[in-house]
Amino acid sequence: MRRRSLNMPGAIVRVCALLFLAASSAVAQPVSEPWDMAQVVKVWCSGDRDARIASFQSLLEDVVEADGPARQWAANLIVQYRDGNLSCAQDTGYIPAGDQFLDVVTGNLVEVIPDDAATPFLNIPLRRALSPFASAVQLVAAEAPENRLRAAQGLARTLGDVPPTLIERIYQQEQNNQVAAVLEGVLVPALLGSGDADAQLRAINTLAGNATRKSRATLDNFLAQEPAALSGPVRTAAESARSSVHWVIQVSEAMTVAYHGLSYGSVLFLAALGLAIIFGLMGVINLAQAEFVMLGSYATWFVQEALRALAPGLLEFYLFIAIPFAFLVPALVGAFMEWSIVRHLYTRPLLTLLATWAVSLLLINLVRVTVGTQNLSFLTPEYLKSGFTVFGEFSVTWSRLLSIFFAGITLIGTLFVLYRTRFGLRMRATTQHRQMAGCVGVSTRRTDAMAFAFGSGLAGIAGLALSTIYNVNPTMGTSLIIDSFIVVVLGGVGSVLGTALAALGIGQLNAIIEPLYGAVASKVIVLLAVILFIQQKPNGLFPRKGRR
Amino acid sequence: MRRRSFMKGVGVAGLAMSAPGIILPAWSREKVKVGCLFSSSGSMANIEGRLNYVVQMAAQELNRAGGVLGRQIEVVTTDPASDWPLYGQQGRQLLEDERVSAMFGCWTSASRKAVLPVVEENDGLLYYPLHFEGEEDSKNVVYMNSPPASSVLPALEYLMGDNGGRARRFFMLGSDYVWPRTINAQLKGYLQQKWGIEPDAWQEEYVPVGHSDFQSLVNQIKSFADESGEQPIVVLTVVGNSIPNFFQEYINQGISSLDVPVLGLDVVEADLEGLDTDQLVGHLNCWAYLQNAPGAANQRFLSAWANYVQENNVPFSPDVAIDPMVSAYTSMYMWAQAAEKAGSFDVPEVRNAFPGTSFDCPSGYKIKLTSENNYVHRGVFIGSVNRDKGFDIVWQSPETTIPEPFSPYI
Repeated sequence: MRRRSLNMPGAIVRVCALLFLAASSAVAQPVSEPWDMAQVVKVWCSGDRDARIASFQSLLEDVVEADGPARQWAANLIVQYRDGNLSCAQDTGYIPAGDQFLDVVTGNLVEVIPDDAATPFLNIPLRRALSPFASAVQLVAAEAPENRLRAAQGLARTLGDVPPTLIERIYQQEQNNQVAAVLEGVLVPALLGSGDADAQLRAINTLAGNATRKSRATLDNFLAQEPAALSGPVRTAAESARSSVHWVIQVSEAMTVAYHGLSYGSVLFLAALGLAIIFGLMGVINLAQAEFVMLGSYATWFVQEALRALAPGLLEFYLFIAIPFAFLVPALVGAFMEWSIVRHLYTRPLLTLLATWAVSLLLINLVRVTVGTQNLSFLTPEYLKSGFTVFGEFSVTWSRLLSIFFAGITLIGTLFVLYRTRFGLRMRATTQHRQMAGCVGVSTRRTDAMAFAFGSGLAGIAGLALSTIYNVNPTMGTSLIIDSFIVVVLGGVGSVLGTALAALGIGQLNAIIEPLYGAVASKVIVLLAVILFIQQKPNGLFPRKGRR
Repeated sequence: MRRRSFMKGVGVAGLAMSAPGIILPAWSREKVKVGCLFSSSGSMANIEGRLNYVVQMAAQELNRAGGVLGRQIEVVTTDPASDWPLYGQQGRQLLEDERVSAMFGCWTSASRKAVLPVVEENDGLLYYPLHFEGEEDSKNVVYMNSPPASSVLPALEYLMGDNGGRARRFFMLGSDYVWPRTINAQLKGYLQQKWGIEPDAWQEEYVPVGHSDFQSLVNQIKSFADESGEQPIVVLTVVGNSIPNFFQEYINQGISSLDVPVLGLDVVEADLEGLDTDQLVGHLNCWAYLQNAPGAANQRFLSAWANYVQENNVPFSPDVAIDPMVSAYTSMYMWAQAAEKAGSFDVPEVRNAFPGTSFDCPSGYKIKLTSENNYVHRGVFIGSVNRDKGFDIVWQSPETTIPEPFSPYI
């Protein structure tokens, strides 16, 4: 016997359950459905590919004719089947309904399903065939515009064997502009193939408004037809649409590269910022810096787990709730490390190098024995899933956008702390001239300790931002440390703006070179470029002013 | 806890973990030593680290049953830190200083190539538990897993067939070292010679080992997929932590297995641990063992591993088992069997006893060493990612296959 485990936050579960009860009262009641469910289940569970496709097709045809509740019923069934939630048993199938199961043949709700019930395996071609039918059934059945929009977008990926005439019919009746616009896109191949000049012009218009590589390929194929098959105006329209689509794609591809550079740069910046402050202020080469990034990620994970246990309703927002923890945990560890190890070694920089390296190994192994070496599982909140298309082929993922956002906030916050607070003033004073600052009453020792903690905390924020992009494990920091040092040295030791610019520059250079010459070459070229730059400007982009 | 005692605890823990593993004294003459060459740090640690424990588990089982030739087995572990040359160095230490009778080790082919001259020079024995590129046949290495002809090619054939969606375009993405490059060279030869596919139907990209930022590569995959109407797939040969990082980016950019399926040649159950597999359903891999393999032998192995993890506080998941774990575990039994048969731990004599040694592998197949080389007859599984962070078995070979070390396509 199997039960589904629900790991959704409790509040959402409750809301869903309520909704489901409302819906399932309609679902559970034997509606006047025109289907022989036993036959449908039999085909869906064990039929061959063609039989299943025929069954999807006839279900879709029936749904169009059926009444509201029956449509809902069918949409629920086919979506559950697509998502792998239909368990096949002897002569029947079960789909989850709240915390019970619905016998799809009898319509009864049952607590447990038989042991031998199994989910049928859907291979790639089957899922590819099924997916447009599921979307089409949803499109017919769904009443809320956002659900219809999702279904239409599903169809826009591929229409498969769904008859275009049906979509045409739905399109004619569609009230919602957004849904209608997506459906227009779905109809393009059918319209282009219709041979009717008006329909073709309409389709070309749609393609021109939707500048993607797919549209360009469609137009290319269309234009490659024999000259006789195309009327003059259609050909001119298609040609001008093709060139405008092509232009938009070129621009959007360039913007994609720039965006990749920006997002990689923001990752580098986040990782390097703490280092820039510690290295810049105290000249301490902190090799454990990357482990503070790792600690920040782990703190985020612990916050997530704590929320999961204590306040599941807030789980979706764990990334924001975790900000203070991701800052404070590494900051405290950093402060402790400064107090116990680093302050004794300020006069011996080589020893700090060794000592901080030892600390880095210690932290890695400490995490390894306490938490384990496996990659931690982070929940991707609904609002961070996938992304959106800005225009053409330029699309943006939310998680990358979040890291850019964090980088921006951290940059502003750090600049604020440095230039608008007493602590920042003391820090800048100590950086510029330690003895002099001491003479005018700045407690340089305390400033050092606080700056070290501050730099460690900033690394922790980097760990928080990285947890949605990269994988989190004890050794995640090791790959960051070298890049961070390159960024700090290139930016000019101790300069926050220099660090930001250097990170952006390296990120951008990487993003430009990688698609052209591959990731291996881009590493080499970037390193070479940095070496050449440092040769010309040994103190980096923004050399430190003042004396040591 | 007082700060000082905490510091002490931290210090001790750190010392115990960071010191190289070769500190176990040879306190018993009765014991026979074997060595482990798997990394517990660096990019490969998350997956290789498990193999140390599973070898120890097999040794423990054998010891409880009376040992081998009446002697208890002592496992000496090392940590080559995902640094290929270190495998050679530590392998030399195992052979020359520890005088181990057999070694179990290496994940990447790059690390195996580093150990190869060492075992050959010392006439040692290395059991290698990974499927790999073939093109090698040393009398000092036992290749416990399959060469491409009995793992990669069946999987590719499946994807190109009707049940796999008729893939005709191939984006080959790998880490930059010998295994991905050789595999891809073979695949290209195979596609050209067997299917008559032209070179413009594939694109080959490599990333440094440990690479983590895949956004522009995933973007390249997108535009590769849009170039032509034919079905594209990704043949993924990146290793270590690059695998989950790649999939994370794949999810983030919203590509599903319906658009471009990924055939992950080094992807195991453990790589899915931190990922949202709802969005990865349908991506494929191919191994000689999958955790869902049917049969009592697998159930026995899984429960033994779960118990071992609980009892010994192993820092890995008790309910994840991967092919190289099973292969490493099996290696220990195959070695013990050959030693029993030879009546000696002497490498040449153990080697002479190889032909015909066989074992009821957790995969459900009775696997055996060939009589002409040190390869093993293994079964083939093709798996498809499911929602429970595991692989459904899509296809499995009816019997074990005959290993072909050297590919005709290269």
